[in-house]
Amino acid sequence: MSTRAAPLEALRTKRVIVCVGSGGVGKTTVAATLALKAAAEGRKAIVLTIDPARRLANALGLATLGNVETRVEDEWLRRAGIEPRGELWAMMLDLKRSWDDFIHRTVPADRAEAILKNRFYQTLSSALAGSQEYIAMEKLYELSARGDWDLLVLDTPPTAHALDFLDAPNRVLDFLDNEAARAILGPALAAGRMGLKLFNLGGNYVAKTLSKFTGGETLQELAAFMLEIQGTYDVFKDRAAKVKQLLGSDEAAFVLVTSAQAFTIDEAIYFHQMLKQERMAVAAVVANRVHRDFLGELPNPTTAELADGLARSGIPDAGAPPLSSRLEKTVLEARAMATLDAKHLARLAAACRPTPQLQVPRFETDVYDLPGLWTMSQHLFPGA
Amino acid sequence: MSLFDRRLLVNTGKGGVGKSTVSAALALAAAGRGKRVLVCEVNTHERISVLLGARAVGTEIGRVADGVDAVVVRPQEAMRQYGLMQLRYRAVYKAVFENRFVSRFLRFIPSLPELVMLGKILHHVREAKWDLVVVDAPATGHGVTFLRVPQVLLDTVPPGAMRSDAEWMNALLVDPQVTAVNLVSLPEELPVNETIELGNAVKGTLRMHPGHVFLNRAYERRFTDAEIEALDRTLEPPCLDAAANAAHAQAARAGLTDRYRAKLREALGLPVLDIPFLAATDEFGRPAIDAVAALLSRAEGRP
Repeated sequence: MSTRAAPLEALRTKRVIVCVGSGGVGKTTVAATLALKAAAEGRKAIVLTIDPARRLANALGLATLGNVETRVEDEWLRRAGIEPRGELWAMMLDLKRSWDDFIHRTVPADRAEAILKNRFYQTLSSALAGSQEYIAMEKLYELSARGDWDLLVLDTPPTAHALDFLDAPNRVLDFLDNEAARAILGPALAAGRMGLKLFNLGGNYVAKTLSKFTGGETLQELAAFMLEIQGTYDVFKDRAAKVKQLLGSDEAAFVLVTSAQAFTIDEAIYFHQMLKQERMAVAAVVANRVHRDFLGELPNPTTAELADGLARSGIPDAGAPPLSSRLEKTVLEARAMATLDAKHLARLAAACRPTPQLQVPRFETDVYDLPGLWTMSQHLFPGA
Repeated sequence: MSLFDRRLLVNTGKGGVGKSTVSAALALAAAGRGKRVLVCEVNTHERISVLLGARAVGTEIGRVADGVDAVVVRPQEAMRQYGLMQLRYRAVYKAVFENRFVSRFLRFIPSLPELVMLGKILHHVREAKWDLVVVDAPATGHGVTFLRVPQVLLDTVPPGAMRSDAEWMNALLVDPQVTAVNLVSLPEELPVNETIELGNAVKGTLRMHPGHVFLNRAYERRFTDAEIEALDRTLEPPCLDAAANAAHAQAARAGLTDRYRAKLREALGLPVLDIPFLAATDEFGRPAIDAVAALLSRAEGRP
């Protein structure tokens, strides 16, 4: 199999594809395109998106309700010129709700309610770096275990940093590890609920000093959280290990999405290294919104050549500056941008070798509908 | 009131819209008017020094251009500085904050990492060393969480060190004479929607004063509709055909720029300043930042 064909092969054979990359590079669009292509190829594919553009969500038939799988009607696909041999499904992930559901499944009902109200839980489920990534992967695992789809494509949350994603399970486990809390809160925690009621920071020097900053109530709340969550650490750890196993297995592959800008390319290279280090398979690097050189192999035109062409076509060379010189400026600017992109993308390809690099040009408008996704897929998989 | 007369400019927006470019350019423009400027990047990869072609500064304040200093603010170092300020004695700090267990869970205390980072930044605002502090804030969602911390603490925390810090911090943030929040956006669907939500959050829940909306990578209208229509067919020679295609793409982007600029203006009622798409220059080089700085300086008028 040539490396060029490898990404398509992944779409045909893998059960899980995870799209990763910096924010603002078009991860959601790429994820939806991959699922669409797999569905066109005959698979039952679902794209799990997080906070898609409203127009894209509409195009996929996604209502505002989170965590509900929705089938994209074949009729819509046909109208967009796509003959689906399989099925396309979509789901908008509600990460907060996924966390709450997860707690409900993991913890007895009486304790779950107390946990959901706790401020430390709220940090865990929304603000903690990595927690969104963790629950997205957890949800992916849950859906994959259900076995209802041939292929799941996950669009991950916008990540400020590659490590937020890869290190996510560890960060969550770190948070839940109550060894630290026990050391500080000590006897109160050991004494259980009764102890908590009588909790005071009396003789504990460290806790006393800390409470000067945080207020005693914060530490009380921490103690309560740790108490309720006790015993779930192993459940989380077990699940995190299973998720990691799935992502590292032959059934899964990553697709790294990037733009051609210098900073996002640096981040993509770093991300690729980290994935390789974790022995994760990377099916492709997708460079999105690459500037086109409209001239292709042609040399730079002169204003005179363009003016001459306009005259022959009967188009007035009017305006200030004249049309011919505005055309020259525009086509040369595009070439300069394309040259710059090509330079950055060559660096990316060299750093990620032998992972194949697929390029999608910058379209005239951004992609928000099924025909747009289909056009993107034809750029990703030309001739397939 | 000019942006440059404020003491604190917070630049925020969706990831990848060019917040760092705007922060670096604003800093240069202010320094060009004789201001002493400090740029704070919040818990991210260092970019300002790279953009300005200077050596990396890390978490220690360093010079990145004439009149411009920069620093990366991270929770751990900010926590140490904050802890020392509060505890006064290094030994006590070590015993408590560097306690193996405490240091592990300090970052989990709701709002504490944000509080210490914001505290460090606002501490610099109060220092006489700088006339202007420019903050390259975290991306949208995190940005609001970040700026809301003092308010959240005032609502939830009983009297103590954290609360009294929250009080003076909040006072600086909501004072329109001191602070303005700039929104950075792109002429694209998602960034524009997020900018509108963010702008409403700034005026609403944050009760802060919005400054400018910067529309980055804006395309100028270069061709008339009639010209685009006339060019919309196969043309000879091939180089003219290629140029016509390039013009078509340019015009489409210019149309989007107009549409999204109007949408931002209407939804936010704020001045929207275009930062033109700088073709033919590496977007992340000093010449590009100088060009944007000159543009911002012109837009604000002569001092």
